[in-house]
Amino acid sequence: MAQVVTVTSGKGGVGKTTSSAAFSTGLAQRGKKVVVIDFDVGLRNLDLIMGVERRVVFDIVNVIQGEARLNQALIRDKRVETLAILPASQTRDKDALNKEGVAKIIEELSKEFDYIICDSPAGIEKGALLALYFADSAIVVTNPEVSSVRDSDRILGVIQSKSKRAEENRDPVREHLLVTRYDPIRVAKGEMLKLEDVQSILAVPLLGVIPESEAVLKASNAGTPVILDAETTAAQAYADAVSRFLGEDKPMRFVDAEKKGIFGRLFGGRAA
Amino acid sequence: MSAAAPPARIEPFRLRGANFNLLVLRLLDSRVEVVVPAIGDQFRRAPGMLRHAPVVIGLDDLAVRPEEMDFAALVAGLREHAILPIGTSGGTAEMRAAAQSAGLAPLRGAGHDTAPPLATAPEAVVLPPPPAAPSGAEAPRPTMFVDQPVRAGQRIWAQGADLVITGTVNPGAEVIADGSLHVYGALRGRAIAGGSDNMQARVFALQFDPELVSIAGYYAVRDGYGDAPMGRAVQVRLVGETMRFDRIG
Repeated sequence: MAQVVTVTSGKGGVGKTTSSAAFSTGLAQRGKKVVVIDFDVGLRNLDLIMGVERRVVFDIVNVIQGEARLNQALIRDKRVETLAILPASQTRDKDALNKEGVAKIIEELSKEFDYIICDSPAGIEKGALLALYFADSAIVVTNPEVSSVRDSDRILGVIQSKSKRAEENRDPVREHLLVTRYDPIRVAKGEMLKLEDVQSILAVPLLGVIPESEAVLKASNAGTPVILDAETTAAQAYADAVSRFLGEDKPMRFVDAEKKGIFGRLFGGRAA
Repeated sequence: MSAAAPPARIEPFRLRGANFNLLVLRLLDSRVEVVVPAIGDQFRRAPGMLRHAPVVIGLDDLAVRPEEMDFAALVAGLREHAILPIGTSGGTAEMRAAAQSAGLAPLRGAGHDTAPPLATAPEAVVLPPPPAAPSGAEAPRPTMFVDQPVRAGQRIWAQGADLVITGTVNPGAEVIADGSLHVYGALRGRAIAGGSDNMQARVFALQFDPELVSIAGYYAVRDGYGDAPMGRAVQVRLVGETMRFDRIG
């Protein structure tokens, strides 16, 4: 059976889709067969971030309603061979998604893929609940900021009580924390929550810390998952997170303010 | 909330408290032959609304004697419209009993205070030495223990018992005990102890920082803690009608 990994957060705009794209690409680069599904019906973004928006013919709603086969809707990534994307619908209502339909899709995808990454919409309503229902693992994306931490805490509670594993009393969903948009300089100034503060409230194993990076905006406008911009700090942090997910031990990078050299201080600017 | 490594289970079921939002159908007329067709009319106009909906029958507006209310016919009539009455809310004890014999159990709403416990409380206050045990008629239940962090949006209610939490209570969480409340960690959410009338209950926390603390209905929010030692080990209790915050340990 494929492992279902849900990327969720509660709060909107913290980096779920960016992280789903980077994480899926990173896993596929390591040779795993990965499919990433966009559960944000109506506000779909994953296909834009992955750069496949011009190749979308059928979407998940078409598949659920029997208008297309799963293979017709799946889009194979051109850059990484073992990666595929199942886009959401732009025009349909999110009520078109239902548990039975999603269950069938996951079952069919399990025959071909090792990992099924579910990119959740924001919130705790139907779309988000469906995205987390079938999870074996969950990556909770959090900004070091009070409302994001509160919402992540909420979604952790929802995962504990409303996932299929919880309903069937099986081993609980494995939870991972991914802190994004971390800026150690602002943390040192006291403008941003410290990593330890976030961890003390959420109390969930830390998968990675992704530093604030201009490369993320560039990548999303270019339709390239940021992990492919390999020299950047964000890309390296995502690659570290993938390694940790696969069981490797990697020290946490980019969490301390770096001492800027003379040119850095003269010309300012953030890390790229 | 599930345990990390559940032991092998023998029972084929699990009993757990849960919260549900339910529609309340308040009866403004006791005549089943008037009420059921009126509901049927509304149902025809907006068919999706009540179809297969579990509803609670509101009894507060019924002005007749219980024997004049034909609950059995009401249940049958509603079921014909695919509406499923599952219980009752409000009403006198006798009306509730009459409904119960038609299979409708009384439901206790979250914000409701049923009459009987409050009727005995004023007596307890008049006697100079207040009773050590709460005036509730039921036998005290064993302490409820929670060993995981209580997360935002979660609510734990120890009915008729003390509540001990060995983790944190996060902001946005709510922990409620009819007895006393003990948090061996950071208390950052809402803490409600003492049920409706147990003024002897106390709240203990190793790291005191709640959004709201309440004992037997007397409450204070952050602005009202005065010079309470925030972030420290604190116990909260009522002295008369005043809330005291004292360092412990």
